Amino acid sequence: MFIDIDCIQKKKYDQHICGDYFISKRYPEIGRLIAVLSDGLGSGIKANILSCMTSTMMLKFTEAGKDIQKASEIILESLPICRIRKISYATFSAVDCNEEGDVKIVEEGNPQFVWIRDLKVIQPEFRIISSKKFNDRNMHIYNIKVKENDRLIFCSDGVTQAGLGTEKLKLGLRREGLIGIITDILKQNPEISSRKLSKNIISAALQKEEKLLIKDDISAMCMFFRTPRQALVFTGPPYYSDKDNFYAKIFQNFKGKKAICGGTTANLISRELKIPVQNETFIPSGNLPPTSYMEGVNLVTEGILTLTKAYEYLDSAEPVVNNDPAGRLVNFLLDTDCITFMIGAKINQAHYDPNLPVEIEIRKNVVKKIAKVLEEKFIKKITFQYM
Amino acid sequence: MKKITVKICFGTTCFVMGSAYLQDMLETIPVKYGSKVELIPAKCLGLCSKNGEYSKAPYALINEDIIAEATAEKIIKEIEERLQNEN
Repeated sequence: MFIDIDCIQKKKYDQHICGDYFISKRYPEIGRLIAVLSDGLGSGIKANILSCMTSTMMLKFTEAGKDIQKASEIILESLPICRIRKISYATFSAVDCNEEGDVKIVEEGNPQFVWIRDLKVIQPEFRIISSKKFNDRNMHIYNIKVKENDRLIFCSDGVTQAGLGTEKLKLGLRREGLIGIITDILKQNPEISSRKLSKNIISAALQKEEKLLIKDDISAMCMFFRTPRQALVFTGPPYYSDKDNFYAKIFQNFKGKKAICGGTTANLISRELKIPVQNETFIPSGNLPPTSYMEGVNLVTEGILTLTKAYEYLDSAEPVVNNDPAGRLVNFLLDTDCITFMIGAKINQAHYDPNLPVEIEIRKNVVKKIAKVLEEKFIKKITFQYM
Repeated sequence: MKKITVKICFGTTCFVMGSAYLQDMLETIPVKYGSKVELIPAKCLGLCSKNGEYSKAPYALINEDIIAEATAEKIIKEIEERLQNEN
């Protein structure tokens, strides 16, 4: 199974920064994933520091297999103390799971997670561990086994309390309301990605707020256990041109979504597979050369400029995704789980003309940078094949 | 009268060497010449890697003739000449 995970957050309306913090780490070689969502006391910078420290430390402790009770006490003792409230606190939900479906969850203070199978909510068993040093610090520990197509949804209390005090929702959205939102979304789109589900939950919660002003930081972290969606990006002609046909056939036989980045590369595949490349209805995109169309291929773009721009989008704090060719490439990449890059090593002499802007990078380097950000920030599984 | 075909190369080299500025022609040429001229945005025509003429990008093809260091003025001049010869 592939674990598709994503988290979308929105900050309180009058703050500059979100007080919730999400962190996750994938260990591809053992198929393990750890994720933590933490909600810091209060809001703004102070809350952000508390939640950032909590989630980062919790991830490290979980990674090292430390006793959870001890870990949370160490964290509570390390947090800076709020001058006004004289306490230091950040709630958390920590998930440690593998691709076999074994999931361990520790919750402290956050709303209980929602486990969905076939549009129904499963109520898991848990045990409670109380902190010896701190009063009212109770951790809920779950050990569950998920199946393919199961979903786990974690939220900060900003979601369950959305709309609190308004005419329609005096007590806020609450867990029941959240479950209603999730099942409505899943009924309409059973295959929805974790990214889109998180986004939809957040926007539904936002709709409940009076004047659409978010009264507390809101975060939705979704996990979807599913068969991986594969994608292939073919960029650059192979070093030995007598291998062109061999690699073009691999491209053709690949099961999953496909993209070609590079005009010469598209010509090569078109020639080898005898599939014409056509111009798409041209919309001047300003900074990037246009895309083309080839039957059986999801996206055909220019090479190095589009890749470089796509990297910029992916690397920026909040990916600004336009509908330009690079934006479409970013969407293509983000809507998958496992991405294979086939990178041709042939050098395009024309790119080394000293008259060209220095920004024109070596293809291999740009792809490596894209792969790194996809792995670390968007938690995708990446493989390379050099040709 | 035979239609004049203009292909502007939007491959990487041509694009950064100036064909990016020729994108507007995709809108202006049909207005100016109607069905007499067809303008096609092309992906890499491969002309930049031939015979060491790397620095002559951007390239355009008018029918089968190569226009090196193409600019809007050059392309329009070529089109006008061809239209006049036809007459």
